[in-house]
Amino acid sequence: MAIDTKPASKSAAPSPEKTRREVNILAGFGHAFLAVWALLIIAPLIWTFLASFKSNEEIFGDAWTMPGALRLDNWTRAWSEAHVGQYFLNSVFVVALSTAGTMLLGAMAAYVLARYSFWGNRIIYYLFVSGLAFPVFLALVPLFFVVRNLGLLNSYLGLILVYIAYSLPFTVFFLAAFFKSLPNSVAEAATMDGASHTRLFFQVMMPMARSGLISITIFNVIGQWNQYLLPLALLQGEGAEDKWVLTQGIANISTSAGFDADWGGLFAALTMAILPMIVIYAIFQRQIQSGLTSGAVK
Amino acid sequence: MATVTYAKASRVYPGTERPAVNELQLDIADGEFLVLVGPSGCGKSTSLRMLAGLEDVDGGQILIDGRDVTHLPPKARDIAMVFQNYALYPHMSVYENMAFALKLRKTSKAEIDRRVKEAAGLLQLEEYLSRKPKALSGGQRQRVAMGRAIVREPQVFLMDEPLSNLDAKLRVQTRSQIASLQAKLGITTVYVTHDQVEAMTMGHRVAVMLDGNLQQVDTPRALYDTPKNVFVAGFMGSPAMNLKTVSLVDGGADFAGIVLPLTREQIEAARTGGDKVTVGFRPEDTDIVAASEGGLPIVVELVEDLGSDANVYGHAEIGGTSERFVVRTDRRHMPNMGETIYVKPRPDKIHLFNAQTTDRI
Repeated sequence: MAIDTKPASKSAAPSPEKTRREVNILAGFGHAFLAVWALLIIAPLIWTFLASFKSNEEIFGDAWTMPGALRLDNWTRAWSEAHVGQYFLNSVFVVALSTAGTMLLGAMAAYVLARYSFWGNRIIYYLFVSGLAFPVFLALVPLFFVVRNLGLLNSYLGLILVYIAYSLPFTVFFLAAFFKSLPNSVAEAATMDGASHTRLFFQVMMPMARSGLISITIFNVIGQWNQYLLPLALLQGEGAEDKWVLTQGIANISTSAGFDADWGGLFAALTMAILPMIVIYAIFQRQIQSGLTSGAVK
Repeated sequence: MATVTYAKASRVYPGTERPAVNELQLDIADGEFLVLVGPSGCGKSTSLRMLAGLEDVDGGQILIDGRDVTHLPPKARDIAMVFQNYALYPHMSVYENMAFALKLRKTSKAEIDRRVKEAAGLLQLEEYLSRKPKALSGGQRQRVAMGRAIVREPQVFLMDEPLSNLDAKLRVQTRSQIASLQAKLGITTVYVTHDQVEAMTMGHRVAVMLDGNLQQVDTPRALYDTPKNVFVAGFMGSPAMNLKTVSLVDGGADFAGIVLPLTREQIEAARTGGDKVTVGFRPEDTDIVAASEGGLPIVVELVEDLGSDANVYGHAEIGGTSERFVVRTDRRHMPNMGETIYVKPRPDKIHLFNAQTTDRI
């Protein structure tokens, strides 16, 4: 026997069709907008990639033509003659150490500021956050003298410390909000289980903040990888050319040759700089998404 | 195994005047299951957290097994706690969740394994040991939280509303499981809940709190039969006791012309609170009588058929105001809505309270 599920009296429900159509139109606009945006981002990347195989004539010719041949010598020239290979490794070295330092210090500072109340907590937090308002240009000259007086000019240590200092404000700002959103009772449970503050941080809270940590790590890697002004100011003097990072090396290709620039080599070097970031982003894309949203809503 | 003593323990949150817990004096026996119950904000959770060491104690002492733990950190107190939202470590498997505390105590691997397996067997969690908490149902997570406490073999269990996130049926089932588990392990347990049914069914003794003050602590039966004041009388039992403050007249309490007879001693005691008295009777301690027998005329508004019996909600005019009443009837005498029934409280089951102090007479 069928079960009678009809309500006792019939009520007029609003037709669902109309609302569904409205949603469809809105979603359509949204998708069109996203498609245009994606095109704006992707097209120059593809153009750069294709240009890395072109000759100078082709580059200054019609932008829509494909490279006449697969000129891999652009890449080899950039890698060895323009020393991009060396600069690439320099960049990896600097960014690896500075990101590691930023994350360690930033996570610890953010955790304490977010979860322990003590006198001066807010002041320290706002000091960090106020660092967000400082453009690099504004502090460049005093920064140069500070680093020089410390004897750290033209050294990786100096550059790494400055990178860390410049990355900490946003890292602390982002992670403090993230650590605040983690449930308090889990920390209490670990305390009752006998965990010390250090163990609580490294074995319970850090793993719980994983998605946030990954997001901000990627953010810092990209930011520090693309840094040009700071190394330009801080890596100068005797033998500085060997210490250059990737951005300086690429800039050098376009400036050193004057009117006779090696454009194909330049685009090959650019592609080499861009690719690792795209790969990293693609690998961690899921974590980045969950990290960006979970800190905001929860 | 241990006793727990709150010796005039107080907690005042910074920036507030009124203490959240006010000079709590409570002795809990070895192996006892004590339930702290009260409405939200009454200080029951704060009391538990003071015992856990998660909350500072601003006055008095807390003793576990005679040892002063008032200012010791949680890990030095040898206690385990089950949290309301379970507070499992999301990145660890069920096994690791239970083993975490033992690992920190540098327990040997074999011993950890033995204890975790034993607790898992006790809680029917064997097949889930390798799962992460997010792959478990609410009831399973609750059992993991219990298991994490059990493997510690602590002196005292603390439970902070551990059932409030479960659905009604599972809650009733888990309620009896926890009670029997506690009986089997014999570990002193302090259990916080806002649900008076949980308190009545689980506790060896129940401590009722209101506004940071302990109102009464006694066995569930004694709380139900002889509540010490109006608050306890109204809080314990569902539906709640009918409590009405009415005028005292010669010979008894005046319910709109119907006089509830009281003894001379009762009237004299009530006089100390003015010319009013608070009368209480439980819904089940009433009889529905014929109109001629002089019961309270109650107009029926709602009948809740519970299957086994029925709760009848209605109102009566007393001294110009409409007062609400609840009575319990068996199903054979279920009245209809709008009907007037005549209700007589059983004289030996009446609770009297001083109208001013609200204390029991």
